[in-house]
Amino acid sequence: MKRWLPGLTALIIVAFLAPVGAGAQGKDTITVALPSHAPTLDPHMHFERVGILVNINMFDSLLHRSAKLEFEPSLATSWRALNDTTWEFKLRKGVKFHDGSTMTAEDVKYSFDRVLEPGQEKKKSPQYGNVRAIKEVKIVNADTIHLITDKPFPLLLERLVFFPIVPKKYIEKVGEEAFGSTAAVGTGPWKLVEWKRDQHIRLEAFDQHWRGKPAFKYLVFRAIPEVATSVAELKTGGVDIIRNVNADLLPDLKSHPQTRISTTPILRVHYISLDMRSAPFDKKAARQAANYAIDKQAMLQKMMAGLGKQVATVVQPAAFGFDASVPVYPYDPKKAKELLAQAGYPNGVDITMYSSLVDWRPHFEALAQMLTEAGIRTTVKMWDPGPAWNKFFQTEGKATQAQYGSWGNYSVFDADAVLHPLYHTEPGGWIGKHYARVEGLDRLIDEGRSTLDQSKRKRVYAEIQRMIREEAPSIFLYTQNDTLGISKKVAYEARPDEWLWLFAAKPVN
Amino acid sequence: MSAFLIRRLLRFAVVCIGVSLVTFSILHASGDPVALIMPEAPEADRARLRDALGLADPLPTQFVRFVANAARGDFGQSFFHREPAFRLVVERMPTTLALTCLAVALALAIAVPVGIYSAVFRNTIGDHAATVVVFLGQSMPVFWIGIMLMLLFAVQWRLLPVSGWDRWSSMVLPAITLGAFTTPLFMRIIRSSMLEVINLDYVRTARAKGLTEWLVIWRHALRNAALPIVTVTGLQFGLLLGGAVLTESVFAVPGVGRLIVNAIRQLDFPIVQAGVFLIAIIIVTINFLVDVLYVYLNPTVRLR
Repeated sequence: MKRWLPGLTALIIVAFLAPVGAGAQGKDTITVALPSHAPTLDPHMHFERVGILVNINMFDSLLHRSAKLEFEPSLATSWRALNDTTWEFKLRKGVKFHDGSTMTAEDVKYSFDRVLEPGQEKKKSPQYGNVRAIKEVKIVNADTIHLITDKPFPLLLERLVFFPIVPKKYIEKVGEEAFGSTAAVGTGPWKLVEWKRDQHIRLEAFDQHWRGKPAFKYLVFRAIPEVATSVAELKTGGVDIIRNVNADLLPDLKSHPQTRISTTPILRVHYISLDMRSAPFDKKAARQAANYAIDKQAMLQKMMAGLGKQVATVVQPAAFGFDASVPVYPYDPKKAKELLAQAGYPNGVDITMYSSLVDWRPHFEALAQMLTEAGIRTTVKMWDPGPAWNKFFQTEGKATQAQYGSWGNYSVFDADAVLHPLYHTEPGGWIGKHYARVEGLDRLIDEGRSTLDQSKRKRVYAEIQRMIREEAPSIFLYTQNDTLGISKKVAYEARPDEWLWLFAAKPVN
Repeated sequence: MSAFLIRRLLRFAVVCIGVSLVTFSILHASGDPVALIMPEAPEADRARLRDALGLADPLPTQFVRFVANAARGDFGQSFFHREPAFRLVVERMPTTLALTCLAVALALAIAVPVGIYSAVFRNTIGDHAATVVVFLGQSMPVFWIGIMLMLLFAVQWRLLPVSGWDRWSSMVLPAITLGAFTTPLFMRIIRSSMLEVINLDYVRTARAKGLTEWLVIWRHALRNAALPIVTVTGLQFGLLLGGAVLTESVFAVPGVGRLIVNAIRQLDFPIVQAGVFLIAIIIVTINFLVDVLYVYLNPTVRLR
């Protein structure tokens, strides 16, 4: 044996083990674990939640939302509606972009135009549908712009909470592709240092941010696909915040000396959409039977650690237009069987239900089990999100009779943001286009979104909720919480809009 | 020798085209990627995108275009990352290659001594114990081994990093996890192939000549037992290259496996095609090297 071999082996072993401090994070860095990164840092060119979470820390929008869900001035210092279709915004002066330039009204107009692309038939931005109602952005003077919509657009302010403003001259100089990958520049509290795809996005505090400097000098978003790994990182200090903590992990994180839990109700609502075009759910009695068949309280208590709230319809308690007087469907398996017999299925019926919520598989199977016990014998199909939506749209939804899903409203706290995609049957609709066939519902939804009169809208939405409670186009379930696992070294709490607004995070001493 | 090379190269080309054809057909049969990119858009917009991406042409045309481009290393832009697909795959290939090489090296480092030991001292308690322990590694699922190792060495004992790929020590746990599965296979092959050789005439002659047992095993027996080991190593390398995706997911390693699996989920054709193509090339190259190594190890193998 060569004489130097044992020595070399020892050296190699020491070299491996030596540089490892647990986590080795300075107190000036806060690290967040995300399951993946969005394909681009360009805030207008993606539609992923993980992208939004990074964008809001690098870019500002005209409006901001406080943790109490009130609108706050951000890049716009004040706003008002001049008439039903024109809104005026006063812009904040002296706001700097990360490259040192000052934000102007031109940048605001440019930001909107690059998504709206007036005159272009093919729109590049997947967020176009969110702001489609804006017809024109007019610069009145250096501090004032007007947003002109084609019809009264009650959701305008909501949509402006996430509509980042980007620098016009800078993008024209570096090009769109560089802007989305290596050279993203905004006005937010952190600026980009580096992005290693599939590994991490590293951000550094921006000294000239108009709100002041954040408490942490560095913000790092790591891409960690596996839940067990992100939990292990949280425990060893490798990351400080993890999202979407499942109910079964709660006791572990609550009792671990380095970690704690922060949870709050959010808009995300769970539902099972029913295909009203064909049997058995073309009969109202069958749909109502399905609603009585599910024990929602058991699901909440046993499978979600109580972190959620049963809802009467898909409209969430936090959304504008929610009517608390509409009663929930209680759990009543006997009544379910009776109604099913009334619908013409005394011996039960067979259906197929599908879902793409792979993280909620046990819940999905539990729901199917409950339906089966009531006589609606359910075959479950769990599909990966990509192929699932393809199958759904290509067969126009006819492949199955029911779909279990969840809807986050894109954090828009308004009943329209859930009613339209789920129930409207126009071609621009989402699931409603295929499944929902409630008479008169389209007209009411249109009514609710074509006026700025909030009390009139409230009345319309109250009527809609009573109607869908009775007609039961879906099985109504519950809203969930956003549950974060947080290191005890960081002071931060979960927000009701599912955002990670890390400007508010501070180190614990 | 050059006739051999030419034949091998032809085989290489045929394999690559075959792989591309299969990948191409399967991907196009499983869904419409445009519906994924613009789910809310009306059909007119989607048709326009389909045209722009070349998805509306007849399939044979698309395939010919694909092969012509592939020869130049151009697999198009990834639908989701908006960067050249080939570049994205090539950027991550060194990571996966490093992980796979390390895993194979570790597996061999354990399997060779244990295999030899088991063969020389066969049917003793040591042999049986070694077999049991090593087979435990094969019966446990890869991601479970990974997570258990992580919980023990990274969380409990804080000796190694939990995940990521930013330090030298980040390679240890993923390599052990990936190698744990291959070690029993190697050990079994080494053991049986050593057993075959150890009582043959030429080995007995060497012993009779007075050589130490160690020299007998190393110089004579192992050399000849090595052929099956080299073959299996080559094959396993290929399997590990493609199958490292679970380990990459558990340890958040930025490798090619994760990239391709995500691309499959999102129907990101260019990445899947580029990735499968590149892996196929690497596997065929490795098998070619294995053939060459054969000649060195055993000159009686004639290269036809």
